Amino acid sequence: MLPVGSKLPLSETPIPGEAPTFRPSELIAVVNQTLEYAFESVLLVGEVASFKTNQGKWVFFDLKDEESSVPCFMSVYQLKVPLEDGMKIVVRGVPKITKWGKFSFTVQTVQPVGEGSIKKAFELLKRKLADEGLFDESRKRKIPEELDHIGVISSTKAAGYADFIKILNARWGGIKIDVAHTQVQGIDAPEQIIRAIKYFNEHSNVQAIVIVRGGGSADDLACFNDEGLVRAIAASKIPIVTGIGHEVDCSLADLAADLRASTPSNAAELISKDKASYDFYVRNQIDTLERIIDNRADAEIRRIAEQMLQAHKYLKQRIEYIYGTLSQRMKILEAINPEKILSQGYAILSGKISPGSLIEITTKDKIINAEIKEVYDRKANHQSKD
Amino acid sequence: MTEKQTINQKIKSLDEKTSWFYSDDFSLDESAKKYKEAIDLAKEIRTDLEGLKNEVEILSEDFTK
Repeated sequence: MLPVGSKLPLSETPIPGEAPTFRPSELIAVVNQTLEYAFESVLLVGEVASFKTNQGKWVFFDLKDEESSVPCFMSVYQLKVPLEDGMKIVVRGVPKITKWGKFSFTVQTVQPVGEGSIKKAFELLKRKLADEGLFDESRKRKIPEELDHIGVISSTKAAGYADFIKILNARWGGIKIDVAHTQVQGIDAPEQIIRAIKYFNEHSNVQAIVIVRGGGSADDLACFNDEGLVRAIAASKIPIVTGIGHEVDCSLADLAADLRASTPSNAAELISKDKASYDFYVRNQIDTLERIIDNRADAEIRRIAEQMLQAHKYLKQRIEYIYGTLSQRMKILEAINPEKILSQGYAILSGKISPGSLIEITTKDKIINAEIKEVYDRKANHQSKD
Repeated sequence: MTEKQTINQKIKSLDEKTSWFYSDDFSLDESAKKYKEAIDLAKEIRTDLEGLKNEVEILSEDFTK
């Protein structure tokens, strides 16, 4: 690099004097080297004006504020955000003098700033990428249920990353987590995240990639609407989960991802099983077994008790039946008891029934020996009396 | 040597043991033994769950360049 004001060898006759002497191309080279030395990389914020593309390859626009305007130049390939006049953007690039001596700013990256511009760029790019099918549900892959190796892309200093790890550790374990530390906001974030996605795809065997970033302003999250990043997410061979911002924030990266979580914590919940639910399930199974055994034992006790009750009932009925029968027979026996008949005034005659015979007469209280005087038929006797 | 079962495999095994209690094979005589087997397996699962730890590695790769 040449220091400012150093003398260059001139092929033609020098102009006399103390001041450094240059030819136009030499001066431009020196100025460009000086600019490169002083402004290796510059962020320039302004409003887009006179936006146009040339031959489908080159992009030209002015970036202006209230007082000045800087002509900008970049290749179509590098433009990852749809631009329109009036949008406020931040660009990274280097200032240069063209060979025609005109000042120009060579842009490397572009990002919209301010809610209106971000929203405008979001809508334009969303429409374009949706038309290409990048957000189609049919493109989305299922995240494996049994994850034991994942890649995480985030800033390790970010609160969102800490939330993600905290929730994941609380819910499940045994997962190997490879973390790619990148910026998650700002104009350089998209390229870094893209590199991390490529790294995981080419140099690791993670089962899923999780991109996490906590909440922030629209400007903070604007990097997740970068076209290159969205395409890298869609092109990833490894399924990608996003947990960016809050529930209300939906970036184009979210739309292209295979699974969108509302927050980093939610991403951890969606990709992991829950120890607590497993523990609950196991406890519940054991409780169920105890209930089954108790119920079965109760049922068995009830069955045996019922059998005993039935046996008792049967025995009781039998006893009652036998008792009833016995009682009835006892009544019959009682009815034909000779003593009872005697007590009613009847008598029992024993001996031969013929005139002159001696007989024994038994009454309730006495036994009488008697002689029979006469014997005749009761009917004949009655007839004779009549 | 038997291969160490994963938690999910153990859960499946617990489910199988539990299903015996719902089956026609159930008998009170055998239930005590089967219940003890299930309890032992449940304790094993809970121990496994408590021992689960994630391993976090920050990659040395510099993604800023």
